[in-house]
Formats: sequence, structure tokens, C-alpha cells
Amino acid sequence: MQFKDQIDFIRQHMKRNKLRVATTILAATMGCAFLIVLASIGFGLHQTITDDVLDNNMVTEIEIAGKSGGETEVAPADIPAADLQKIREMEHVVAVVERNQPEAEAQTVIGNRSAYSRIVLSSMEEEQKAGFALSEGKMPSKAEEIVVGYHMAKQLLTEAEMEKEANGEEVDGFAGSLIGQTIELQLTPFRDEGEEAKESSSWEFVVTGIAKEPAKDWMTDNSVYADSSWGAVFNEELDLQQGYKYILVYADELQNVGGITDTLKEDGYYVYSVTEELGSMNVFFTALKAGLIFVGTIAVLIASIGIFNTMTMAVTERTREIGVMKAVGAQPKLIRKLFLMESAAIGIIGTVLAVAISFAISLLSNWLIPMIVLNSLGEDRPADFTLVISTIPWQLVVIASAISIGVAMLSGWRPARKATQIDVIQALRQEM
Amino acid sequence: MIKIRGLHHHFNIGKKGDQRQVPVLKGVTLEVSEGEIVAILGKSGSGKSTLLHILAGFMLPEAGSVMVNGKETSVLKEAEQADFRLQNFGFIFQNFQLMPGLSAFENVELPLKIKGMDEKERKLKVENLLQKVGLQEVAGHYPNELSGGQQQRVSIARALITDAPIILADEPTGSLDSETEKEILLLIQSLNKKLGLTFVIITHDEEVATVADRQYRLHDGELVKGEQRHAI
Repeated sequence: MQFKDQIDFIRQHMKRNKLRVATTILAATMGCAFLIVLASIGFGLHQTITDDVLDNNMVTEIEIAGKSGGETEVAPADIPAADLQKIREMEHVVAVVERNQPEAEAQTVIGNRSAYSRIVLSSMEEEQKAGFALSEGKMPSKAEEIVVGYHMAKQLLTEAEMEKEANGEEVDGFAGSLIGQTIELQLTPFRDEGEEAKESSSWEFVVTGIAKEPAKDWMTDNSVYADSSWGAVFNEELDLQQGYKYILVYADELQNVGGITDTLKEDGYYVYSVTEELGSMNVFFTALKAGLIFVGTIAVLIASIGIFNTMTMAVTERTREIGVMKAVGAQPKLIRKLFLMESAAIGIIGTVLAVAISFAISLLSNWLIPMIVLNSLGEDRPADFTLVISTIPWQLVVIASAISIGVAMLSGWRPARKATQIDVIQALRQEM
Repeated sequence: MIKIRGLHHHFNIGKKGDQRQVPVLKGVTLEVSEGEIVAILGKSGSGKSTLLHILAGFMLPEAGSVMVNGKETSVLKEAEQADFRLQNFGFIFQNFQLMPGLSAFENVELPLKIKGMDEKERKLKVENLLQKVGLQEVAGHYPNELSGGQQQRVSIARALITDAPIILADEPTGSLDSETEKEILLLIQSLNKKLGLTFVIITHDEEVATVADRQYRLHDGELVKGEQRHAI
């Protein structure tokens, strides 16, 4: 029998039992939609958390927190320059940035305004390679030039403004652009408890650039980014200890971060990258998604009882017809194929409807639930938080379709086998 | 064309554990030549249907041989039997055995669909045959919209559509009135003459057996030769 005729044949039979077939398809649809929607919550939450991690991190950044040195551990500050050079030469590494923070309290002063700051000493050339982003101005080209954090201007307050701010009043800070302004940087060495105040020293710098706004609203950047050569000057002038140093390795693309991280780990470095965070999260979410798919599959299995019942009824009702078909020369495998195709058709139609319904539910839940959740938080709600409740990737559609259609065919298997075993003589004796 | 040799078969009667064997065929031997009409007469329960079922491959004999067109059919597997039936046999049943959900045209078309014939070729063949058996007017009608005679004509057309050389008829006029019975028997005779088809007719009706070239009677599981053909 040609395939087209087989399709026609099962279409005719399905039309004759419209109501029963429709309710079976409905059960298959509900089972499959339940599976997809349930698993989509796992995928949705995974996406929400992943997006949050990626938003809060420079995704191509790998932080080196030290190195294993046999019995002792090597701090970032003690990693030899030659080793760092080796890392710079690695494939897909675009920059290795060494950032130092001196052991001193820093205050930025411009006219009668001042602000407490964080000093970051680094190679500006290497920072530029790493993709240091500016909101305005340019990167420093001389040692006396600096970049300041995005919120520096707002933080530069007069004494009167500081008082107002302490009273909870709004203050504007420095009006106008800081680009081209000369600022004074006052450094005072940190002191231990009970220790006398140490003398401070000042240096003047010209602002050439303003750093890009941090990714999150709640982050404040009032740092001063100066050339790393100043480290030695500050240490000598103020007799400072070696400050806090951290090393950041930058990959060209996110997909290469994992490879670089693994290589660095093999070389004994203690590293942290966004892939590390995502990696441990992925394990958890993979387990969660597998669990949800498993629970959803139970719903599909329950629906399969309906398919089994419908197909068994179909075989019983059509015993005489099957007998006639066998009598006129239909092979048992053709009979089996026709019944399997019918149960597969129920599975396929149910799955197609389920996918469409699941996408609709997913869209609705992504619109409605975050609205309810965020509104219920009132004033406390985070301004830039995106909550994704449900995501349906193509992989989920493939998995759910395979499970649904597979289960539908399995439930049709026994009735189809029963159909092939029908005795022609007994079947022909049945009344119409 | 058909050579049946020493066919034996029995049925088990009674409840499980208390069954007894009732022989229905005791060494039946029969030869049917090409283009012949052979009628097998017998009372109800005489084993005539069993003989037809064994000949058609619906069941296997306990002993004996069934050769059709030089092929031993009693050793064929189920799938091979189905294929052999499709190529060699057409069936006419007492209660027509038409598919209620299919029109007269579709019922006749069914064996060709099973055979895998192309739709265009199929359509042409069915239309021609329906015209030959005088059913072109009711081709689109469903079995419940047809008279008994028309239904049996559809059944005959379905038996002929695959060009099978042997037609096995099990009580072909059993559900028809005497007028329609004559009509169907004339059609069988005409098809035999025009197309040279071989017919094996199983019947309890002496009248039906009159169309046969040779008649046999099944009595106590044994086949006894009967009368020759005479005009209807």
C-alpha cells in the first residue's frame, strides 16, 4: 500500500470516530503541554539566573586569585612577570590586567569639593586592550592623566553639601564635565587601631576620561584609574606596604573563557570566571530540568492510557474489517503499520497542539507573573530586574515531542499487534 | 490448477479438559482445472467451509497437501499466504463482507490499494470493472445504500479486481432472494466464460451447484463426486 493511501486510510478511520479520537488527542495534548510548560519553568529560571550572572559580570573576565607553588601558595602580587607574559601569549587571551590598590585612604579634591575614592593602578595600555569602556573622553596617554569613575562628579561635594546629604537632602555634586579638570589626589596611609595618624601626600592629575556606567543601578563607581607606575611612587613617598593586587585575564569571546580557565587551572592558578559560576549553576539546573521533564513525562504516560484504550477499542471495533483486509491479501505488517500510524497521528497532532498551547502559556506567564511578583514587592522592587518564568528552547520542544510521540506509538503497539493476530475466519463470522 | 491431496482436519469440541476430537475432513482429494466451475455441496457442519478456508490459506490442515498453480500453500507462512492470496485468489462471501465506511468504488479499489497500485491506474481499472458488473451508477454509494444483489456484485467486483485466476465463493447467494440469486449465478457463469476464471463454490443449495461443471458432495468428511452442469 502506498504511503498516501495509508494516510488516507487512517484519516478515514479517525473521521469515523471523531469524538473518541478528539478526546484522546486532547488527553495527549494536555500531557505534552504539561511536560513542556513544567520543564519550561526550569529553563526560564535558569535563563533568569544566567542573565543575572552575565549582567553582573564582565563575561570575558577571568580573575586569578593566586597560584599553587608546591607547599606554599603564591599570592597574585608574587606571581612572576614572566608567568603573566606566558598567559598574555596564550591563544584567545587579549589582555592580562594587573590592578593594584595602594594601602592608603584616597581623597579626590577639586576646588572646595572632595570625595573619598578607590585608587586603581593599572597599565592603561593593557586596560584599553581589555576593552575598558568610557562613557566620555579618552584613555590616558601620559602618566599624569587619569580616568575617573562614572559617579565621581556626583560624589564631589562641598562641606555644606556633605552636611545636607547627611540630613537626607538631595545634593547635585560637581556640575559640568570633569574632562580636562585637574584634580588633587590626597593619600593617607591606613593605620591600625590606636596608631597615630600618618602624614598624607598629594598629587595632581588631569582627568581625560569618565568610565562607563556600572551595569547595575545600585553600583557606585567613584574610582580613580591611574597608571601602574604610580604604585612605586606612592609606596616610596608614604612608606606603604605592598597593596592589594588582583590579576584579570581577558578572553576574546565568552565561548573561549572555559578553555582558558581550564588551561590556567592545569597550570596551577586559582581562577574564577563567569563560566565557573555558570558551571556549578548549570549542574543544578540540568538536574532540575531533568527532574521536571521526568515529572512531566508521568503526565504523558497517564495520557498514553487514553491512547491505549482508544486503539484497543479501534481494533475490537474493526475486527471484521481487519479480517476482510487480511482475507483479500493485506500482510500482517501492513495492518500493524496502519494501527501504529494511527496512534502516532494522535501523538503528533497532540504534540503540535501542545507546543502551540505551551508557547501561548509561556508568553502569558512571562507577561503576567513577573507583573504580579514585581508589583507585590512595591517600593522594594529592583528597577532593572528581568524575571523570566518560562522559556521553551527548541531542545525542549524536540525532547517533549520525542517523548510524546514515542509514548503514543508505544501505547499503540499492543493493540496493533493484537490486530495482526486476528483470526480471519473468526473475524469474518462477526456481525456488521 | 488446484490439487488437494489427502486433506485431514479435525475440531476439538467441549470444555477444556473434557474435549473430544471431531474429524471434519478425512483424506479429501480434489483437482480443479483452469477455467472450471466446481461446486462443493454439503450440509451445515459438513466441513465444506473448512475445506475452503484451508484452500484460501486462512487455516492450515493437519495433514495433506494443497497445491495451487504448482505451489504448495500449506507450508507458507502467514505473510506469504497473504501475498499468495492477493496474487491468486478472489473471494465472494455469503454476507458480502464489504467495508461499511467505504463506498462501492472504494470497496472494489481496496485490494489494489493493498497491492500498492498507482491511483490513476487504479481508478481506471475500478471504473471499467464497475461498468462490466453494472454498478457504475452506484459507485459512490455506501454498502447500506445498496440492495443485497448490488452488494454481492460489489463483492464480486472486488474479487475480480486483482485479476486473480481463482475465485473462491462461500455461499455466494446465501443472503439473496431467488431472483437476485439467479442474477448472480448468471454473472458467475458469464465471467467464467468470458474471462476463463476458475470458480470453487461452496454451497448447501442444490440450485447454486447447477452452474458448476462438476459437483462434489462432502459427507462425513469425505468428498463424493456429484452431477454435471445443467442450464439455469
